[in-house]
Amino acid sequence: MKLYVPHVGHLEGLEELLTSSNDIYGIYMAGTPDYVGTGRTNLSAPGLEEIAEQTIYAHEKGVKMEIVLNSSCMGGQHLTPEGYNRINWYFNQLNKIGIDSITVAEPYFVEMLAKDYDMEVVVSVLSFVDSPQKAEFYEELGADTIVIDPVINRDFDKLEAIRDAVSCDLKLLVNEGCLYQCPFRYAHFNFFSHANGPGPKLNVLDDYYYYKCLSLRINDPQQLIKSPWIRPEDLREYKHITDIFKIGGRTHFPNWILNNVQAYSSESYDGNLMDLLDCPKDLKDLFYIPNKELEGAIFQWKQCRKVCNKCGYCKKLAEKIIKVYSTEGCENVLRPLKEEGGQ
Amino acid sequence: MTITDTLSKNRSELEIKLRNLLLKPVFLIEMDVFALPCGCKGATINTRGLQYDDLEIFEEHIKEYLKKTSEYLEIEPSFLFARLVPGTAEIASLNSRILCNRCYMDFARGTGKKPRPDIYILNFIRREEK
Repeated sequence: MKLYVPHVGHLEGLEELLTSSNDIYGIYMAGTPDYVGTGRTNLSAPGLEEIAEQTIYAHEKGVKMEIVLNSSCMGGQHLTPEGYNRINWYFNQLNKIGIDSITVAEPYFVEMLAKDYDMEVVVSVLSFVDSPQKAEFYEELGADTIVIDPVINRDFDKLEAIRDAVSCDLKLLVNEGCLYQCPFRYAHFNFFSHANGPGPKLNVLDDYYYYKCLSLRINDPQQLIKSPWIRPEDLREYKHITDIFKIGGRTHFPNWILNNVQAYSSESYDGNLMDLLDCPKDLKDLFYIPNKELEGAIFQWKQCRKVCNKCGYCKKLAEKIIKVYSTEGCENVLRPLKEEGGQ
Repeated sequence: MTITDTLSKNRSELEIKLRNLLLKPVFLIEMDVFALPCGCKGATINTRGLQYDDLEIFEEHIKEYLKKTSEYLEIEPSFLFARLVPGTAEIASLNSRILCNRCYMDFARGTGKKPRPDIYILNFIRREEK
């Protein structure tokens, strides 16, 4: 198994990750947002010297270095002469540093990188590759690896069709806890891309999408089960698709990341599934989903037709196993979802 | 009891009351007390899963709960409000604030419950004119 692992972006964090685990195949982190932003929040914006220093360190440890520049909206800046020159200069610097791969969401960058550079080109989840047709398109543009849109993580017909359609590598993001068929997906990532990209910077009062994301789950906790995460134990069901897996979570402490590495590399986790999910991390103190009690659910999902109002499997499963943290005196106690009015 | 113990106790008690009232696992994600340079001081309770409909239907209950919490925190409950995400069903926070004189005037000028698109007033005690 090749496990790609998030990294918050500073050398101290990288040292902690790579001295604590031998199960990391590659690490990934954002670059500076001055050239191309990212579709998610970051804790740091390492400059070129820091990237160079960390790339040397990762290579000394035998680990691949991937830089993620997966802005889902550039606002057309890359199509201007100034924008193109600035971004081309940045790609050139990353190439000289010797990073192994670069993840982008913008199709223009896929073609540009494949044509002019040695770095491996990884198509981001934020390119939303969810069909064999899209996968073929990106492979023709020059993709070396495609990270498949997690929305089809439980749609094996499509996963297998993509596997058959392309010869490039496929990577699966295992612990994204986003809503299944999230209505905010494009708008939220576009918002992040502008907030975490080259200016102008936005003066935003509230992250509406995040508030809605949490509120929807609190009001309808079955959404937690429907999210297309992959349990560590279920990786074996995907081995005919790929052996490359990616853990999401660039904004978490190394300790959280290492817990995920341990769970996914050993393909087992005995605890709250919410501990492993990248988002919504705020809800791990509200809901408890005993991972071991999800054993076997993958076989339902493998043949699921995704017509939730007729099926009801995830709803029933949520009612059966999800518990809610509540406080009694100074103690945190777990209560069944129904007692807390959850369904 | 330390200030952090008091906050912890009141956060969980208010959360339980809201869950029992609304029959859903409303989440009080953070409770803070604050003092601002202008002179305003008070408490902010960041909420998730609490919605405008809940407030409209159970306004009196929620106001009473917030008032009690404010009193426990020794914050005079003279100005209680919910902060909304404008144009949406979401409530971002419940708040109790002792207003400084300047900020008081900003709110005292109006008479409605929504002096700004993001603020829904639950309680506002007007000061006697001198």
